[in-house]
Amino acid sequence: MKNYDVVIIGAGSVGLPLSWQLAEKGLKVALLDEEASWGRGQNRAAIGGIRATHSDPAKIRICLESIRLFSSMQEKYGLDMEWREGGYLYIAFDEATKQQFCALLKKQKAAGLDIEWVGPETIYRLAPGLRTDDLIGGTYSPQDGYASPLMAASAFHYLALAAGVSFFFNTKVKAIHREGERISSIEAGGESFSADIFVNAAGAKAADIAKIAGFDLPVFPDCHEAGVTEPVERFMEPMIVDVRSDAESGNYYFYQAATGQIVFCITPRPQIWGRDKDSTSTFLPLVVRRMLELYPRLRNLRVRRTWRGMYPMTPDGLPIIGYPDMAVNFLQLVGMCGQGFMMGPGLGSIISRSIAASGCHERPEGFTDYGFLFDELSINRSFDHAELLS
Amino acid sequence: MNRIEHHPILSAKKNLTLVNFSFDGEEISGYEGEPVASALISEGRHVFSYHFRDGFPQGLFCANGQCSQCTMLIDGIPKKSCVTPLAKGMDVRTIHGLPRLPSQDSPLVQAERRSIRTDILIIGAGPAGLAAAAELGSMGFQVLVADDKPQAGGKLILQTHKFFGSEADCYAGTRGIDIANILQEEALQYPSVTILTNAPVVGIYKDRKAGIYLNYESYLLVEFTALVVAAGAREKALHFPGWDLPGVIAAGAFQTLVNRDLVKAYMKILIIGSGNVGLIAAYHALQADIEVAGIFEAAGRVNGYQVHADKIRRLGIPIHLNTTITRAEGCQKVQRAYVAAVDERFQPIPGTTRDYEVDSVLIAVGLAPCNEFLEQARRYGIMAVAAGDASEIAEASSAIYGGKTAAANLALMLGLGKKGAIDPGWEKTRKVLASRPGDCYERSPIVPGKEWRPVFFCSEEIPCNPCATVCPLRSIELRSMQGNIMDLPYFAGDRCTGCGACVAICPGLAITLVRRVADDKAQVVLPWEFNVDSGLEEDMELVDQKGEVLERVPIISKRKVQKRNTWLLTFEVDVAHAARIAGVRHLKTQQVPRPQKDTIEFKNIPSIISVEKSSLEDLDTVVCRCERITLREIVDFIKKNDVKDANQLKSLRVGMGACGGKTCSQLIAKAFIIAGVNPAEIEPFTQRPLFMEVPMGSLVNEGLHKLGGKDAGTRGAP
Repeated sequence: MKNYDVVIIGAGSVGLPLSWQLAEKGLKVALLDEEASWGRGQNRAAIGGIRATHSDPAKIRICLESIRLFSSMQEKYGLDMEWREGGYLYIAFDEATKQQFCALLKKQKAAGLDIEWVGPETIYRLAPGLRTDDLIGGTYSPQDGYASPLMAASAFHYLALAAGVSFFFNTKVKAIHREGERISSIEAGGESFSADIFVNAAGAKAADIAKIAGFDLPVFPDCHEAGVTEPVERFMEPMIVDVRSDAESGNYYFYQAATGQIVFCITPRPQIWGRDKDSTSTFLPLVVRRMLELYPRLRNLRVRRTWRGMYPMTPDGLPIIGYPDMAVNFLQLVGMCGQGFMMGPGLGSIISRSIAASGCHERPEGFTDYGFLFDELSINRSFDHAELLS
Repeated sequence: MNRIEHHPILSAKKNLTLVNFSFDGEEISGYEGEPVASALISEGRHVFSYHFRDGFPQGLFCANGQCSQCTMLIDGIPKKSCVTPLAKGMDVRTIHGLPRLPSQDSPLVQAERRSIRTDILIIGAGPAGLAAAAELGSMGFQVLVADDKPQAGGKLILQTHKFFGSEADCYAGTRGIDIANILQEEALQYPSVTILTNAPVVGIYKDRKAGIYLNYESYLLVEFTALVVAAGAREKALHFPGWDLPGVIAAGAFQTLVNRDLVKAYMKILIIGSGNVGLIAAYHALQADIEVAGIFEAAGRVNGYQVHADKIRRLGIPIHLNTTITRAEGCQKVQRAYVAAVDERFQPIPGTTRDYEVDSVLIAVGLAPCNEFLEQARRYGIMAVAAGDASEIAEASSAIYGGKTAAANLALMLGLGKKGAIDPGWEKTRKVLASRPGDCYERSPIVPGKEWRPVFFCSEEIPCNPCATVCPLRSIELRSMQGNIMDLPYFAGDRCTGCGACVAICPGLAITLVRRVADDKAQVVLPWEFNVDSGLEEDMELVDQKGEVLERVPIISKRKVQKRNTWLLTFEVDVAHAARIAGVRHLKTQQVPRPQKDTIEFKNIPSIISVEKSSLEDLDTVVCRCERITLREIVDFIKKNDVKDANQLKSLRVGMGACGGKTCSQLIAKAFIIAGVNPAEIEPFTQRPLFMEVPMGSLVNEGLHKLGGKDAGTRGAP
């Protein structure tokens, strides 16, 4: 039996930064993953956007914390994640969308977000060449940005290694043993792991892990396809999100990475539920048509590669954070709905402080700042309100 | 312009139009329709871009549309110059750093999805793909063959030499360039077969469709029932200091420039690797009037066919064994290459360095199957077979049989083939044709008689027998050891008319004719595949099998066997060694006092490079050419992060560049070894579409409105 303070299942966007920040606080941490190395679940499928521009205050707070971390990694640790404060631009083409965005603005500002409504001229300045014919404006949050998920995962892995986290790869969870309302041990990869706290950070496979522990999680993966182009000289700054939808697709978004490539992704319509990550022929013609209608200058840009990743969705589009009643020391950090990469570091920061303060109490002394997260994102919530900027 | 005007085998291209175009603002010219890269190289322009990471010059490397090192700004748009046809008035520019996206901001004209359906999609119109197409066509299947090159034939169109194998099985004695046409005609005799050229397959998708970047302009989706992957092979890379300089190119790239585009690309080359590709490249260089400093082989034996090696040696090109390249250097392009002897661990031995003034280094260290699409298709549950080099690296002759067998197997898998359609002989033939060279035998000395007789300088078992089948008197037979065409030929009859058919057909140029004409004189007839228009009145150097000069005499007569495009030269020589004379030294190399031996006479030259620098594991050498990541960066990253998964190197951008890891994936094992990780434990790169970069405008067929909606699939594609 291997004994740890905390055993985390899933060495991905959520598990890696959490493990590092726990170990930094002196805890003995093990990180288990069924893959051959870190970040090989959905982390490597993420396109890299990092925004605090959400409709839900809890998510805004988590991501502001993430941005604080991402933006300081280079200076503080000398680790390059290709972070760039390019901003997010949600563009609107009709009054109704404008009204919706502007109503959100107040909420977002109240939660501490730097965001403004900007007109087509500003948008054209931020993304020269973009068609502004029908554009009426958009919200611009200049402190949002983007980074390389691969480099970020490697950096967090490196920090975690240095902080003493024990990594167990090719280690699949076989059994989770319960004693009353507590998890006593986990069997994985031929070993037994015991700990005070276990964490489910298994991303798209979170519901499978819960099932092994004997409960259901409302986390259902759906598929999104993404692509990347060749690099070119910088010509645009923000991540552009077009929330319009048509018969074949929902919203789509793209940005120019710090290294010059355009990275893009689209929400298919109808949604593709399941785990089939193989590319289909429909994605490229669809997403490219929509991008070129908006931004014809991209026509000469060569697409280099495409891939498909999963969004571990919850019924209301918000993550699930908390300790279930039937397993009171089994923290669920699941259902990130495709935003594990942008939420992971912030969550890791908040959760590690909570655990370090007093283990698996959701509202430890002196932790009142973030305690509300556990209420809003509780596994026991009703799941009836919808995230507007999903 | 450096053009090959008088190639002994290839006829000058007809209907070529010389056009002017602009290179960095300067007006130069090239042939319309030839790749921009070839036009530039013929004009002596070798640097196409300066890398965005460190400003290092980049030039042509694969000439195969794969590696992207040749990308330039062509009419304002970044394009691969090796697959972009030259047009009059083109504006071609060197790229400095990252290219700027042109501000073409007019609204999208149209977005259209084009798709066709076929029973069977064959990727690659080389020998395997064409043979498979003919076989499937004969069974009535709708077959679409998609090839990325402007003409069908695969690498056959680069092969100016005669084929090994047998006449009955695979056109032995015919040149590759001609076999390409024969195979294409055989496939196209079936109306259900369509061949698309300039049509690279860029992706295979789960929904049983393939994306084709048609004419490097538009995007065609092909729905298919089953797939034949006959995509051939790509050349393996070799990592040494300076391998990233323009002028270091793959041997196949050299053959493309010289034999397809007739560009006299370089003045003097040095070849690394003694497999058949390296040996033939040397021969091709001489035919193109390009000097060869030598062939350098790290192993202790020649890797290719002995007859090829002998042919090269006889022409005066040394083959150095136990030797490898340690460095290439030059300003903007290769000007000098360093070689050294290696120990049993293939490490350079200090003090054995020697340098050559060359303007190109050819890498010919083997081939790796292009089988990504096969693996992808199988993962997607798509019915797929592979044939040719994509299945197993071997000669083109065996690829023909691989294609036939794969096609018949596929038909059976589809439940539509005729029972018994697979000829059991095919697989046997394929295997024989794919055989590695067997044993070598010493031949007994021949004493010339009054009658003509053939003399064989063919002493290594290889799959080849056209001499036996071409002899009108059936006087040549194979010695029955293995019972197949691997067996060596010998003169079995006592009758020989001296017709020279065997001399002219022999792909290894390893047969001569001799007869005694006086007590001390004999005549010898030798094959010759170079021009015979000048210099022949002078004495020529006649050499033995290994290239030792035996005699200097003039030609007494010559005749050309048109069918084989081969000259037969007759000389009168001393009868004592007439039967040992195997060939003529190349005119260019006749000045060299004596042939060099297979080992370098090593001088302890005061080396300008230290032993550490000459190490093949020079840590500051770039491994990932696309992103210019050095061995040191990779090794450090592996150590620092405890990496056992090649995919993690993507954090360094290794494998994330334009080539998609095609070049470096074979080289990164070395980094793991240096970092102390067992390469067997390494999780390999994950492959994803696209296989080749495609502009967004092409993916939605924006440009097609200009073409008047011409349908892409002409035949066999409803």
